[in-house]
Amino acid sequence: MVNIEINGAMYEAEPDQTVLEVAKKNSIIIPTLCHLDTLPEYGGCRLCMVERMGDGWSQVTTACTLPVKEGMKVQTDSEKVRKSRKMTIELLLARCPDEEVLQNLAEEYGVGELRFKKNDDNCILCGLCVRMCQRMGIQAIDFQGRGMEKELGTPYMEKSDVCITCGACAYICPTTRFTQTKVERVSGNKPIPVMSEFEHGMGTRNAIYIPFPQAVPKIPVIDKNICIYYQTGECKTCEEVCEAGAIKYDQEEEVLDVDIGSIVIAAGTDVFDPARSPGYGYEQYKNVITSLEFERMLSASGPTGGHIMRPYDHKDPKKIAFIQCVGSRDCNTNPYCSSVCCTYAVKESIIAQEHSPGLEAHIYAMDIRTFGKGFEEYKERAVNEYGVKIFKNSRVPYVEELEDGSLVIKRVEEGKLVEEEYDMVILSVGLEPSKDFKELAAKLGVDLNDYGFCRTSTFNPLSTSKPGIFVSGVSSSPKDIPETVAQSSGAAAMASYSISDQRNTMVRDKDYPPELDVYGMRPRIGVFVCHCGTNISGTVDVKAVAEYARSLPDVAYATDNVYTCSQDTQELIKDLIEEHNLNRIVIASCSPRTHEPLFQDTIREAGLNKYLFEMANIRDQCSWVHQKEPEKATQKSMDLVKMNVAKARLLEPLDQPTIDITKELVVIGGGLSGMTAALGSASNGIKTHLIEKGSELGGNLKDIHYLLGSDKEPQEALKEIIAQVEKESLIEVHMNNTVKEVNGFVGNFETTLADDTLISNGAIIVATGAKEYKPKEYMYGQDEKVVTQKELEASIAGGKVPEGTVVMIQCVGSRNDENPQCSRICCTTAVKNALKIKELNPEAQIYVLNKDIRTYSFNEDYYREAAEKGVVFIRYDDEKNPEVTNDGGLTVRVDDPILGETLELKPDTLVLSAATIPPESNGVLAPILKVPQSKDGFFLEAHVKMRPVDFATEGIYLCGLAQWPKFIDESISQANGAVARAMTVLSKDKMKAVGVISQVDETTCSGCALCMEQCPYNAIEMLDLVLTANEIDALTDRRVSVAHVRPALCKGCGSCAAVCPSGAIEQKGYMNEQIYAMIYGMVKEDRDESKLKQKEATSG
Amino acid sequence: MIKDTELDKNFKNEFAEEHGGENIKRCFTCGTCSVVCPVFDQEESFDPRKIIRMIVLGMREEVLKSEMIWLCSGCYSCYELCPRDVKITNVFSAARNLAVKEGHTPPAMRTSVDFLNKQGRLLEVSDFENTVREKNEIPTLDLTVPRVKEILKKAGIQEAMDGGGSE
Repeated sequence: MVNIEINGAMYEAEPDQTVLEVAKKNSIIIPTLCHLDTLPEYGGCRLCMVERMGDGWSQVTTACTLPVKEGMKVQTDSEKVRKSRKMTIELLLARCPDEEVLQNLAEEYGVGELRFKKNDDNCILCGLCVRMCQRMGIQAIDFQGRGMEKELGTPYMEKSDVCITCGACAYICPTTRFTQTKVERVSGNKPIPVMSEFEHGMGTRNAIYIPFPQAVPKIPVIDKNICIYYQTGECKTCEEVCEAGAIKYDQEEEVLDVDIGSIVIAAGTDVFDPARSPGYGYEQYKNVITSLEFERMLSASGPTGGHIMRPYDHKDPKKIAFIQCVGSRDCNTNPYCSSVCCTYAVKESIIAQEHSPGLEAHIYAMDIRTFGKGFEEYKERAVNEYGVKIFKNSRVPYVEELEDGSLVIKRVEEGKLVEEEYDMVILSVGLEPSKDFKELAAKLGVDLNDYGFCRTSTFNPLSTSKPGIFVSGVSSSPKDIPETVAQSSGAAAMASYSISDQRNTMVRDKDYPPELDVYGMRPRIGVFVCHCGTNISGTVDVKAVAEYARSLPDVAYATDNVYTCSQDTQELIKDLIEEHNLNRIVIASCSPRTHEPLFQDTIREAGLNKYLFEMANIRDQCSWVHQKEPEKATQKSMDLVKMNVAKARLLEPLDQPTIDITKELVVIGGGLSGMTAALGSASNGIKTHLIEKGSELGGNLKDIHYLLGSDKEPQEALKEIIAQVEKESLIEVHMNNTVKEVNGFVGNFETTLADDTLISNGAIIVATGAKEYKPKEYMYGQDEKVVTQKELEASIAGGKVPEGTVVMIQCVGSRNDENPQCSRICCTTAVKNALKIKELNPEAQIYVLNKDIRTYSFNEDYYREAAEKGVVFIRYDDEKNPEVTNDGGLTVRVDDPILGETLELKPDTLVLSAATIPPESNGVLAPILKVPQSKDGFFLEAHVKMRPVDFATEGIYLCGLAQWPKFIDESISQANGAVARAMTVLSKDKMKAVGVISQVDETTCSGCALCMEQCPYNAIEMLDLVLTANEIDALTDRRVSVAHVRPALCKGCGSCAAVCPSGAIEQKGYMNEQIYAMIYGMVKEDRDESKLKQKEATSG
Repeated sequence: MIKDTELDKNFKNEFAEEHGGENIKRCFTCGTCSVVCPVFDQEESFDPRKIIRMIVLGMREEVLKSEMIWLCSGCYSCYELCPRDVKITNVFSAARNLAVKEGHTPPAMRTSVDFLNKQGRLLEVSDFENTVREKNEIPTLDLTVPRVKEILKKAGIQEAMDGGGSE
């Protein structure tokens, strides 16, 4: 170690360091142009001049070439230095007057009008590129000539034989002078940028890169094909700069032998390559892009930063069109429906409008298939609020390109051909198995279906043809996020059943560092303000918020992050906590409901108690609700941050007690989903109570008599499942029973049934099902010819096959004002019943009147089959329902949009595809379980996309029709998914309770017991206490009754604190003084200063 | 108003029996054929999707008697791009065959057959053309091609057209 003095301060340095290195390490700014840590020093730009001070002498010299010496004294910003630098900058600027980097320096150092003749040289001769080229092991370029003649070039200025056009020279040039053309001149080859696969070729990437932002693990990989090391054996820059020493060039693919009990296939999909349908001009017409490319364009962290632009001329498009079913529902490519494209096209058209208001979006489709939970309402919003136009019966087989890159699409409107021009066309590409999926399936020995997806069956949707190998997600059929997430949990459950006795045998606990003792420490608050892509920063000036946070008392550090929740930001937060000794953290971002646990874990990993954390929701509460008022949104964000900082100053670390878990499960509902869930949990060795309100198990499955493409008859399957349930000793069925009361909390519920049976259980699965809507419309109940699909199925099963003309009307009781949602299953049910009728009575004439036919995924095959068998599908308009009258026999009138004429039908049977609706009893059960319903009455999961089988309340899960209408296979997947989720609780012996529990001040408690009555978790008990004479101002000992909080049971809801008339109860983490501090922080900035002083005095 | 009581509900099945009409019922009215049809582009009355729809609904007379089915130029664009493989160009051949069978041969068709019978070509070749050809050193042509007449006879074209009683 040597000690040197820079600008009057002493610094330690390694003996082989230069002055520049020491200065940089200690954040002393010395400008440089030709310095790079990994390249040898050259002293070419002469900007890093410093003044070396001696006894009575001083010398101005370049810092990059000045090695440190014990006792050396250096000035980096003296008058002499500034003068020298100014001159250098002036000379450099004279060489290249247009260079922005030089102009900025000139401004900084006050260089006025140039005194030298302005040249237009193409180089400042810093030599960085020369050294870089050497480092690459190539040496294609060097300086030649001397003095005025000095220039950069190849030997004899000929084309280089050794240059590999890697572009390192251009990459490293501190100016913009080393252009791509120059690179081309060196080698004679055009440099080709490496396009990022994740950005779909719209952005570039390096030879060492992280494949995509959500990559797990988030570790860079080296592209051996372009990495210079693998071409020349040189460079190794990454190895030199990686402080962790993580770069290993000799790493090879390894083959590992792993002993496993089950396999889950979740191999995902590829999207259809639209170049296979040449009519769309993909890769030929520049403004035709795929939906996935458009998705990247819409992403704030994408290649255009969320800016929508035409690839052709980077102009803002005014009008865009989505073409649906590209590579789906097409016998020439993939005949099945990809299930997700309609909804994503609707989503992308809404987001596109948010990014670029006034943008017109049109969707060309055959049918619009928004069948998922809430999707139909979302589509209606797109149409009504965002003016998205949807053209149905309008498949687009090809587009034409105009000279300016715009595109023309044709459609038929009222019998006439209409052409419309668009600035950009987005192809809604379908999903198909990835190219190497076949190979993987062959390796695993599992069967694929005709379309190359894993073959599964209705009653075994998660099992492949090979025992022990399970499948989830798009590997078995195209599906959306919620189904995929539910299925993945389900597949995990299936995979666990056969190996459940091995549970926990290989678990390693996460190691946390010991908690920092912050008592008595002055608060040092770190504030992190999130952009959330553009979600927040599009409205709120996050940099200003961070800047403002820096001015708040006790804030030691504040910054802004593009995505605070990303893994690298978590690492950054941990580093900053250490670097700045932060002991309280405030994050201003999104909802604590979704992200608080993540951030708490991060600070815990950095050694802070997780309760030393506060979160300001500036997304939901500022940028979203005040989207039109950016200034006010920014002001409000500052206020929220101010309040949270004020509270954070008073935060204390809290303990979390551990509690035992009751390893029993209650499943409410004895239908297919409930029984599947019960069997699943029993397979995991969990005692399960199955509660059925009726006198029979089976639910809706009792009314299903035949299926499409099932290898098993539904009633047989039902019998088998009931037999299994009855045989299973771990399942106790409570027939003719309902849930009357539920107390307790995750891990320790107390469930009381209607017959007063008391069950102690650790988790609850809600599988209460749904029912068919009883139609009020279309003369149902007035004419005996009018039946519902369920009634039709029952009568066919009973041997009564409809004769003559059968008319089916879709969307009865759904997709209307009263119930705006799509019931998802009715289209396929109608096709199923139509096919059954055709099978039994080929003479029957069947008409299906529909708004859209939503036979998603492989059910599209049955739609086609029904048409082939002669079933006629007629679309009716959203605004004009079919007319059903009884003038001279039952009559249906419907407008056929294809012929533009009214069709009059005289059905012998009129079948209504009635909606699937939730039972009224949901409204009774919801408050008992304290779980929410959506406005349509179905139960509302914690997150419709990411947590489809969880309730927001821990320990309670849902599956089957209780969540949304769905098919048998989907119900079974979801039921197993719910089991997997419940097992996350039930598989453990103990769990950690919350820290933000209530505490009673016994000296002020009056023993009124109001809190005990109020507590929903039964966490408060009354204790008799003897207060001795000197404890309070009493003359004799006194027996009092006081409230006591049982820490393991308290969930920190705060009800008790709210009702306490004497203010004796406070909730940790929400103490009065903390809340007051927030309020004072908001209204009066200095008030809490005195509070804090008090606090410091008391906590000592 | 189209009344199902007046429709020939078996027409679609009958049509599907006709060579070329096999896949007619598969149509899901997506509009591909209409959008790509070069004839529809010029002539509004020829909407291929509409004609298929009429066949599927059973509007027998309206289809077979109409001139529309004779307008298809046979470019096969719709055939290539149809997502349900309805083989639309063949559908029009089938429709024409059925129409002729039922005696709905359009007069223009008769004229064409007459030309073919008479000269073996649809376009007349006269001495004038041959003089021009000679001048340009292109081989001359026979004024008639009698073999075509024979082919037409063997194929029974005339009988087919007359069979159902002409209009």
